[in-house]
Amino acid sequence: MKTKAEAAITESFEAVSRQLPGGAAVREERRNAIGTFAALGLPHRRIEEWKYTDLRALLKEAFAPAVRGAAAPSEAELQAALGPLAGLDAYRVVVVDGAFDERLSSARMPEGLAVKPLGEALAQSPDRIGEGLVRSSRPGDALEALNSAFATDGAVVRIADGAAPDKPVLLVFARAGGERKAVTTRNVISIGKGAVVTLVEAFVALPGAAKEGHSNAATEIVIGEDAAVTHVKANVDTGKTVHLGSANARIGAGAAYRAFQLTAGPGLARNQIFATFAGEGGRLDCSGVFLAAGDEHIDTTLVVDHAVPGCESRELYKGVLDGRARGIFQGKVIVRPDAQKSDGKQMAQALMLSPDAEFDSKPELEIYADDVVCGHGSTSAEIDPELVFYCMSRGIPEPQARALLIESFVGEAIEKVEDEAIRAALMAMAREWLSKRTAPEPGRA
Amino acid sequence: MLEIRNLHVKIADEDTSILKGVDLVVPKGEVHAIMGPNGSGKSTLAYVLAGREDYEVTEGDILWNGDSVLEMPPDERAARGVFLAFQYPMEIPGVAGITFLRTALNSLRKKRGQPELTTPEFMKLLRERAGKLEIDVEMLKRPVNVGFSGGEKKRSEILQMALLEPTMCVLDETDSGLDIDALRIVADGVNALRAPDRAMLVITHYQRLLNYIVPDKVHVLANGRIQRTGGKELALELERSGYAEFASKAA
Repeated sequence: MKTKAEAAITESFEAVSRQLPGGAAVREERRNAIGTFAALGLPHRRIEEWKYTDLRALLKEAFAPAVRGAAAPSEAELQAALGPLAGLDAYRVVVVDGAFDERLSSARMPEGLAVKPLGEALAQSPDRIGEGLVRSSRPGDALEALNSAFATDGAVVRIADGAAPDKPVLLVFARAGGERKAVTTRNVISIGKGAVVTLVEAFVALPGAAKEGHSNAATEIVIGEDAAVTHVKANVDTGKTVHLGSANARIGAGAAYRAFQLTAGPGLARNQIFATFAGEGGRLDCSGVFLAAGDEHIDTTLVVDHAVPGCESRELYKGVLDGRARGIFQGKVIVRPDAQKSDGKQMAQALMLSPDAEFDSKPELEIYADDVVCGHGSTSAEIDPELVFYCMSRGIPEPQARALLIESFVGEAIEKVEDEAIRAALMAMAREWLSKRTAPEPGRA
Repeated sequence: MLEIRNLHVKIADEDTSILKGVDLVVPKGEVHAIMGPNGSGKSTLAYVLAGREDYEVTEGDILWNGDSVLEMPPDERAARGVFLAFQYPMEIPGVAGITFLRTALNSLRKKRGQPELTTPEFMKLLRERAGKLEIDVEMLKRPVNVGFSGGEKKRSEILQMALLEPTMCVLDETDSGLDIDALRIVADGVNALRAPDRAMLVITHYQRLLNYIVPDKVHVLANGRIQRTGGKELALELERSGYAEFASKAA
């Protein structure tokens, strides 16, 4: 039995497929993908990886796919939407409602950094390459199948061997316009040997954007040997939006991949990250902050595959949950039989501001090698009253003391981001959310 | 002037009473020491003065400059000049020391009707006060007390005190965990704050600290009451005889 939303998604593909970018081979790839989705349907709670996020039940309605961006926001509007990230000095690529916006994007890129809008790349590329651009490295995943089927635009980024762009690359995905729609974007990123780069993805709502909206965003990232990549994703979209995000990272020998996600705003979000070590001596540092209030639901699902020996993975996730919000952390670490000397550690912590909030944490270690160090931990706690007392004894009023302590809690994860300007912007975004959503409890007895 | 009148305190949600009628007066400009055996209620007294919630005052009163502070939350007491240097200073991961100090100072200034300090004004003050305590300002960029040694934590408490300029200072076992050099720095810091309009209550188990911070009066707290009051020589006497005398009184 298909749900109303599932049927609507499949049908909408027929309606828009001709308007999606790409030649015959791309169209074929997309058709296969929608076929996969039609067979799988929306993930539901009987699938282990979706135990806590029953998308079939949660996604009651499908919105029409956005195929042609009509909005033309001004620079000022974009700045307003970006908030603390507006001041970031970066090479900027802006995608509005799933369509590349040339006016708002940087005209020039430095040597060694090549950026092309995905839509343009699909329209111009020979079949084979185009096919590769929409093909997911996990084609059996329902979310990624949807992404392959509907992706309209995004960034195709190539960083040359040894290149080290002097500024971060900021990819902005903005929602605009009053009508409800489903936006599907996709980035294909390849990073050359020994390159050093910082990528920032920002999901924001422009002034006047509809309260409801769906976004499916995927990033395929292949990291060359000895490269060092920082990949930050900040989702501060507003309203009752649904965000389904997937990232597939392939980490080359000796390379370091530092990923950070801030999710503070959407009503329902799933961030899934699949990282595979493709060469020895790789390092993954994955961290994030999720902030949810009201009925919001934020799911972070990580799968780290130690496919080769001698790699190290670290995960630190922190959430603040208020109202009836639900936070989910699933962290799977696979250590293949040959992957000796693997070192994997993860920690997920939630600060519960309300007795009705819920935090589900599910670590999974699948270890097939014997000489490995793996560990995981998870906590959920309220604000420590002793710390509140300490702050108050220094003259800080209770609401500010609580706010300071919440900030300090998330700050520990944000600290993981090395770039000072980005770290400050993330902290400011978290602070903005906290000041809006977590009303202090006046006169707590 | 601090006046503690017939103070009875128990742990909230429990029946055990810890303080059973403490009477104590500390005039402005004076430094008083409270000594006593472990478990005599010294730290309880310190916490109750600062307004910690887990204790319940069942009888008696605490007056500071003539006003009862019992109904005041800790931040209100701080605004009135009360400061507790903790025996075990708390670590606040994720909050830079400088941010914490500035937030505290400006909260107090706001409550005291003074204008908040700008960042340059604050940094100037901080450098000056930290320098006197041989604290590197760089260290205060790190999260509050995180990774600090015992001595560094105590110095950071005294720095807070020097910065917030309270008029009623309570030092709870400030000497514990300090080596002799750190003890001297801390004591110098405290002595520098001695002032005619400031009262200090130094709580300690050992006499050692009182060689450096010489008190005007020494009180012995045992079994929840002040058992004896004397001059600074009382501390030396206790160092020789120990607290056995007071323990037997209780039995």
